[in-house]
Amino acid sequence: MMYSTVLQDISYAMRLLAKKPSFTILTTLVMAAGIGLSVFMFSFLNTILFKDLPFTDGGSLVIFSGSENGYHNQNRLNSHDYFEIKKQLQGVSEFSLYYDTAVNVAGNDGARRYKAILIAPNFFELTRTPPILGREFSDAENQPGTEAITLISFDLWKNIYAGDKNIIGKLILINGVNHEIIGVMPQGYAFPDSADLWLPIKQHPTQLTRGQAEPIYGLAHLDEGTSIEDVNRQLDLIMQRIEQNYPQTNHGIGAYITSIPWANVQDGDVIIYTMLIVALLVFILASINVGNLLLSRAVERRKETAIRVALGAPRSRLISQMLWESIIICSLGGLIGLLVMAWGLQVTQKITATFFTDPLPFWWEFGLDNFTLSLFFLFVICSIVVTGLLPAWKNSAEDFNGVLRDGTRGATSKKSGRINKLLVMSEIFISMTVLISAVSLTVASYIERNINIGADTDNTIVAKVILSDTDYPTKASRVLFAKTLTSRLENSSNIGDVMISKKLPGFRADTALFEIEGKEYTQKNNEQYPKANNISTTIGSLKKLGVKLHHGRYFNSSDEGLEKYTAVITQSFAERHFGTQSSLGRRFRLISENGKPQDWLTIVGVVAHTAQGDDIYAKIPSVFRPYSQVPKGTISIAMRVQTDNSATIRQLRATLKSIDAQLPAYRIETYNQGIERMAAPLKFVSSLTLLCGLAAVILAGSGIYGVMSNTINQRTQEIGVKQALGADEDLIIKEFMTTGLKQLLWGGFPGVFAGCFLGFAILQLFNNGLSILIIITLSIIMFIGSIVMIATYLPTKRALKMEPSEALHYE
Amino acid sequence: MSNILIRLNDVNKVFYTDEVETHALSNISLVINKGEYVSISGPSGCGKSTLLNLIGLLDTSNSGIYQLLAHDVSGISKKERARIRNKDIGFIFQSFNLISDLTVEENVNLPLSYRKDLTKNEREQFVLSSLKKVNMEHRANHFPSQLSGGQQQRVAIARAIAGNPSIILADEPTGNLDSENAETIMTLLDLLHKEGTTICMVTHDPRSAKRATRSIDILDGQIIADKNNNQTNLNHINTHQTDAA
Ligand SMILES: Nc1ncnc2c1ncn2[C@@H]1O[C@H](COP(=O)(O)OP(=O)(O)OP(=O)(O)O)[C@@H](O)[C@H]1O
Ligand SMILES: [Mg+2]
Repeated sequence: MMYSTVLQDISYAMRLLAKKPSFTILTTLVMAAGIGLSVFMFSFLNTILFKDLPFTDGGSLVIFSGSENGYHNQNRLNSHDYFEIKKQLQGVSEFSLYYDTAVNVAGNDGARRYKAILIAPNFFELTRTPPILGREFSDAENQPGTEAITLISFDLWKNIYAGDKNIIGKLILINGVNHEIIGVMPQGYAFPDSADLWLPIKQHPTQLTRGQAEPIYGLAHLDEGTSIEDVNRQLDLIMQRIEQNYPQTNHGIGAYITSIPWANVQDGDVIIYTMLIVALLVFILASINVGNLLLSRAVERRKETAIRVALGAPRSRLISQMLWESIIICSLGGLIGLLVMAWGLQVTQKITATFFTDPLPFWWEFGLDNFTLSLFFLFVICSIVVTGLLPAWKNSAEDFNGVLRDGTRGATSKKSGRINKLLVMSEIFISMTVLISAVSLTVASYIERNINIGADTDNTIVAKVILSDTDYPTKASRVLFAKTLTSRLENSSNIGDVMISKKLPGFRADTALFEIEGKEYTQKNNEQYPKANNISTTIGSLKKLGVKLHHGRYFNSSDEGLEKYTAVITQSFAERHFGTQSSLGRRFRLISENGKPQDWLTIVGVVAHTAQGDDIYAKIPSVFRPYSQVPKGTISIAMRVQTDNSATIRQLRATLKSIDAQLPAYRIETYNQGIERMAAPLKFVSSLTLLCGLAAVILAGSGIYGVMSNTINQRTQEIGVKQALGADEDLIIKEFMTTGLKQLLWGGFPGVFAGCFLGFAILQLFNNGLSILIIITLSIIMFIGSIVMIATYLPTKRALKMEPSEALHYE
Repeated sequence: MSNILIRLNDVNKVFYTDEVETHALSNISLVINKGEYVSISGPSGCGKSTLLNLIGLLDTSNSGIYQLLAHDVSGISKKERARIRNKDIGFIFQSFNLISDLTVEENVNLPLSYRKDLTKNEREQFVLSSLKKVNMEHRANHFPSQLSGGQQQRVAIARAIAGNPSIILADEPTGNLDSENAETIMTLLDLLHKEGTTICMVTHDPRSAKRATRSIDILDGQIIADKNNNQTNLNHINTHQTDAA
């Protein structure tokens, strides 16, 4: 019997929905958008950030990174500092460490670049993952001077060795040195993110000076009951003590832990939380809207409902029928949302793949995983409750006798008026919050991507090569390589100017600390060593890149020679450290790490500031050195395209082969692509958030209009009464506009507050200030304000078109 | 000074809905003098409310002349009509039509609040005296939903008379009330009339109609009878009677 009642209710609800197809389609689509977009955002963020890594105890793995002046910018730590941390830190165990580097691996068809991780022996133990073939390495094998060994990834094993079962013991040529393969890691294992090879780090801090040891990332497991914040508080204290001991090198240097996925977020937590909030709000908005649409239908049917009550239908049946409408709309909408979302996650997999030139971090596998599906069901249930609750609430209090006894609508209209006001205010609140934060993020990301990097990046192909210590052991051999490559490329018809630099303008470079001749750096005068990007660049490159000369000269042939010490600095460096004095001819040098004084460098030129990297990095001044004085191992090549991109790339490959058959070029792309890629995650994330913002505008706009015109519809009779009593049109319009304005203020004020809170935090991240936020906020207030005003004005005007006699009898 | 308050001359009202034309009023001519208490009766749908709406400037006629206090009001602006409704006309509706968000006092004050010629003090005085007149001053701060139907209608009457209008228009003021409450309302109207207020009331109830000084009967949009209740003579307006009999 129960069963048949339910079936009856379902079929009744279905009939009602079928009777108004456009209403049904609209509400279903709104729900689809709300559930789809929201769950998508949660699923996306869960996959990249919140999910435990797929190992035993993956959830307690943490990474130690370095901060600078409070910025969590994922620096590597000095291994001496890390050693100190390890001795003092409580609440974490199983310390390990690593750093990553790019290496050339010789294959059948020439060399290729791979990502290698230099690790401590217990590295794999932390991930509770043994190799599928072979073994890990021992402490003894990690000593400097021992035999070269490596473990390789499953993919590399399959690709280079076709999954050879007898791979163990074979040799692999890494950066020109033969390494014995001692193990193969399981499929999908690329810890810490996208590793191809793992090699012993073969360094121990105590055997090297502070300056010599390679900086590293730390790894450990968080003990049960310890929080990341606990550990970070301890780390602050430990690092402060270290800073007191090494004030000049460690000024502002800190350390912090995060989960492995969160390390990449750096200081972007606020962006992530904003996305979560925005996603949740869009879902709530969609639910409110559908709830309101169902509510207004319930109001339309109130007379019918009243008759049914009078005829003896129990109220629970009425609510159940209404609930079935919600269930059908939300489930159907949810299902559509789920399908679109599944597609969206697939697309996301492809888009995110372009963020990095390396493969994606191994845990970035987007799709309808358990989390996503559970959340989806939760959201569908929530949406049913919210959308079903509104009409049911309204109905529970309805005075059905009053409805039937025509005319006395006083008590009920007051309540539904209050519900409507609450609806409008929540829509205003949500849309303000979402829009201000979404637009702030979009604007910040736009400004970020349009930073003036100080060089001409158009029509240019860039690439990288690694000159290994084995193949290019002497500085002279590298200088010769760079010269030969430049002249051969420039002589080809496909390529115009060729520029070679350790790091090209626009890309993050290594920084170094310097001291300026004649200045004293003591704790007493609180003078800190100037920090700058330290970039070696071939003669002519700065000019050819379009980096403008302000004073002095560019590098020229007189700067050639390993025994010479000249430098070109950026205007930003000159202003910061020489002020108004001329910097030409002044001398400065790298600070010595190990007591051995460095050579003084003479400034021969000042060029325009080049932005080396995004956000906070963009502002760091730079020091350029001639490549012929400091030839580095990893170099970037930029080539002006004469004919077309592919011809340029072919020319590069052919030319490289003609110089060194084993030398691969990697990260080959256009200069602009390279720069855009740096901001690509931000762009993607801000586009997603903006999409939510857009959805919020459409939902809130139509929702506010819907509720307002409902309200005014319901108050048409009141308008008639007031007209009968002598109110003229202007007065009535004014009265309604004032009500609209009040709701705008009540919903808008908290909305502006919440939106600005998030927006300010976001803009701060990118060093954009209050003025932009004020402009954004004012525009959005105007925008939402006009939506509310239009949504009030139009229905009021429509009601006023009637003769008062008609309005008085309006139902 | 003329004693004529309202003069309708050859007034017609046609409603157009979905290709159906309803001749709600046909060639109505009517004069109402100051101090009269007029009842309008007739079967449902005959045009009583339509006539009252025209008189109350809640609707416009299609043709004919309407003079209120010797001014032609047929073609005046919406704003001007609102002003006249506010000053010269007081409405009492069948369904009370109090504003649910406003207290009794605020409801009564509502038409006064639209006027610019009154001080706050004067308005308060008017509200109080009209509430006293309907014996509702003790409920001044209540909301309509807290009152019975009869009480609500008394408040509505207070609202109608608060601004001292030239005429009270009442469309079935007792239609939603039981006989006891209806009697109270009718007594109130009698009282108002005795004090000199002009009243024009639509009613179904013959006993209510008899309390008026003059009864007008309408059938199919035409006046078929217009009699003075003090004298018993029928006073047919025979100008446009072709098919009404
Ligand atoms: N706004 C309108 N649109 C179309 N037709 C209308 C409208 N108002 C009234 N009518 C029609 O005009 C005619 C007269 O209506 P009116 O309301 O004046 O009747 P009534 O005499 O007041 O009836 P009742 O005693 O039932 O209140 C009716 O036929 C009605 O259907
Ligand atoms: Mg009527």
